[in-house]
Amino acid sequence: MDLYIIVFYLFALITLASAAIVVISKNIVYSAFALLFTFFGVAGLYVLLMADFIAVTQLLIYVGGILVLLLFGVMLTTKVIRVDMRTATVRTFPAVVIVAALAGTLIGIFWSTDWPQSPASDGFERTIPQIGEMLLTSYLLPFEIASVVLLVALIGAAMIARRERKAL
Amino acid sequence: MEALENLGVWGSILIAVVWSALPIVFILLYALVTLYAEMKIAAHIQDRLAYMRTGWHGTLQPFADILKLLQKEDTISSAADRKLFRLAPYVVFMGTYGAFSAIPFSSIYIGSNIDLGVFFIVAVSSLVVVGILMGGWASNNKWSIFGAMRSAAQMVSYEIPTALAILIAVMITGSLNLQDVTKFQEGGIHNWVVFGGPLPLTQKLLLIPFTLVTFIILFIASLAEVNRTPFDLPEAESELVQGFNTEYSGMRFAMFYLAEYANMFLVSAVTVALFLGGWTSPFGSFLSGPVWGLFWFIGKCLLLVFLQIWIRWTLPRLRVDQLMYTSWKVLTPFLFVCIFGVGLILVL
Amino acid sequence: MAAVRAYFNNIWIALTTVAVGMKITFKHLFVPAVTLQYPDVKLKLPERARNRLYVNIDDCIGCDQCSMVCPVDCIIIETIKSTPDQDLGTTSTGHKKRLHVPVFDIDIAKCCYCGLCVYPCPTECIVMTDVYEFSEFDRNRLIYSFSIMTPQDIELAKEKLKKAEEEAAAKKAAATAAAAKAVQPSGAQALKPASPEPGTPEQPGNS
Ligand code: SF4
Ligand code: SF4
Repeated sequence: MDLYIIVFYLFALITLASAAIVVISKNIVYSAFALLFTFFGVAGLYVLLMADFIAVTQLLIYVGGILVLLLFGVMLTTKVIRVDMRTATVRTFPAVVIVAALAGTLIGIFWSTDWPQSPASDGFERTIPQIGEMLLTSYLLPFEIASVVLLVALIGAAMIARRERKAL
Repeated sequence: MEALENLGVWGSILIAVVWSALPIVFILLYALVTLYAEMKIAAHIQDRLAYMRTGWHGTLQPFADILKLLQKEDTISSAADRKLFRLAPYVVFMGTYGAFSAIPFSSIYIGSNIDLGVFFIVAVSSLVVVGILMGGWASNNKWSIFGAMRSAAQMVSYEIPTALAILIAVMITGSLNLQDVTKFQEGGIHNWVVFGGPLPLTQKLLLIPFTLVTFIILFIASLAEVNRTPFDLPEAESELVQGFNTEYSGMRFAMFYLAEYANMFLVSAVTVALFLGGWTSPFGSFLSGPVWGLFWFIGKCLLLVFLQIWIRWTLPRLRVDQLMYTSWKVLTPFLFVCIFGVGLILVL
Repeated sequence: MAAVRAYFNNIWIALTTVAVGMKITFKHLFVPAVTLQYPDVKLKLPERARNRLYVNIDDCIGCDQCSMVCPVDCIIIETIKSTPDQDLGTTSTGHKKRLHVPVFDIDIAKCCYCGLCVYPCPTECIVMTDVYEFSEFDRNRLIYSFSIMTPQDIELAKEKLKKAEEEAAAKKAAATAAAAKAVQPSGAQALKPASPEPGTPEQPGNS
């Protein structure tokens, strides 16, 4: 048992506990804030998998962008318009079926995959130069398409926002 | 060190704890100094003297202030959401402190010499936004929630110019690792990125206008990132009482306060490491070395912190629409032009 | 085109004005402070500054004018008439003192320093001084008592007045009795005995 293992279990615990809060909590704001720790824990796990770029990107995009957006939505609706947003259990039967199917698939994959077991390396490999190179050579097309899609989404959002203001 | 490593897990934990606790010692000392400096500079700019009665020229005042905060009652209003209210200051401080781990204080001290450096700092800082939203929402107070909303909107918007400006420095130095970025600028003041970096002369001369503009923009954007005047809308005391920390008192308030001051240093440190040569001496190899490195680094950062304080006591607060105008219609387009220009020059 | 020029012009103005502002504040960083280190250094007050009230009780004739004029009613004065055999002396302004002043309290906490009480005083004995540091921890200590009469003095003065009044009353009763006897023959006038005749000489106290 070394530091690596301890840290791994720590992050796993953070992730699972906060994910449980996200699902169980009746208060939707708690769910949103618990998501912060879930993202954080997952980022930690990525680091332990030597995927530091993915980890930091996870933090930047999910915590800095998506979570803030979520919080804005939740806070604006519950506090400002005074809608009491609560999570509740509805349609138990189909949900159980779907979740069971999903869990079964995941566990099946988990068991049937031959997980590569590499020894914990001493230091981090430099992943960023490789990622950068890959993105701009072999994966240039998907990269560019993704950026164009994002740009379109951005322009679309701006258009919608503007039109609404004129209508008012 | 080796004896400790032989202790196994506990030894490595101990080393990790001590190594990662060094910045907090620094932050506390620095906060004391800045607390004092801020009040003194504010007073002298307004032709006053500020503290004069606690110790020589009031030098003991920061200690007295901290003592006061320590023994103040930690009140939580009855309508507040107690759990989130308590958690928020820690999340904010965690975001700030986490970012300190990638700051190269000297050639021998950097919390974690990761490749991602600045990228990591930008990412971890976003925890601060969530923490502020948490505090503002949990306070269940109009001012707090307005402050938190403004703060989040402001920080998210200004993250874009900040990231773009950082990108320009990264394009020139070719690394995200702040230690490498700093080493790249070694050799004297003329090698700093703000003066074009150690590139061939023609390239350098062409780069200087772009890097200067980028440096100024990064400084402006970092002011907004730490919610300081003229971008202190989240705390705007004349409109929002105290913004997201209106309801806080005692130690929890101190935590927010400390995080704010630490953040000021943090953004200065990033700017210094990227543009002003980090811990390198401005005189080439003269007065360089690990200890002098620490001196130069902290000195340069404090200079920028002084600039922030100076601006705070000079300029009035912007309006919300002016704030957004500055970010989206001035800083960002200028940075796009700079990125284009720098890229072109570097390719040549 | 004009819009573009305005855009760049705005940016230029913003930068230059910020620079100008910062130059000014930087200069002021080295300007000596204009404030005083108050408890150590004090500003010299103008001669006619209006601060704490002072009453020179020796000169007070107890006329109550200051108390009447006070807009916040913070002066409380009680007086006891002196008897003809007592000589309370004259004030420094030459007024004859005819009243004892057993109570002369000013609640300085209520005082608004309007100075109105100073002007009507006929003997100029209530004045404003330049003392302004008189904060207290207990509000009651801000009620200043200027009277110098001891409880015994007050008791004595009251007794004397009572005795004198009784004497006067007795004298008056005797006088009215005598008068009644004198005018009895005319009958009808006896029905209104109590009203003092204008010329009655034995009225004690005030003139
Ligand atoms: S200064 Fe004004 S308020 Fe004060 S005692 Fe005199 S009349 Fe009253
Ligand atoms: S006006 Fe002057 S003399 Fe008259 S009662 Fe007041 S202080 Fe005394």
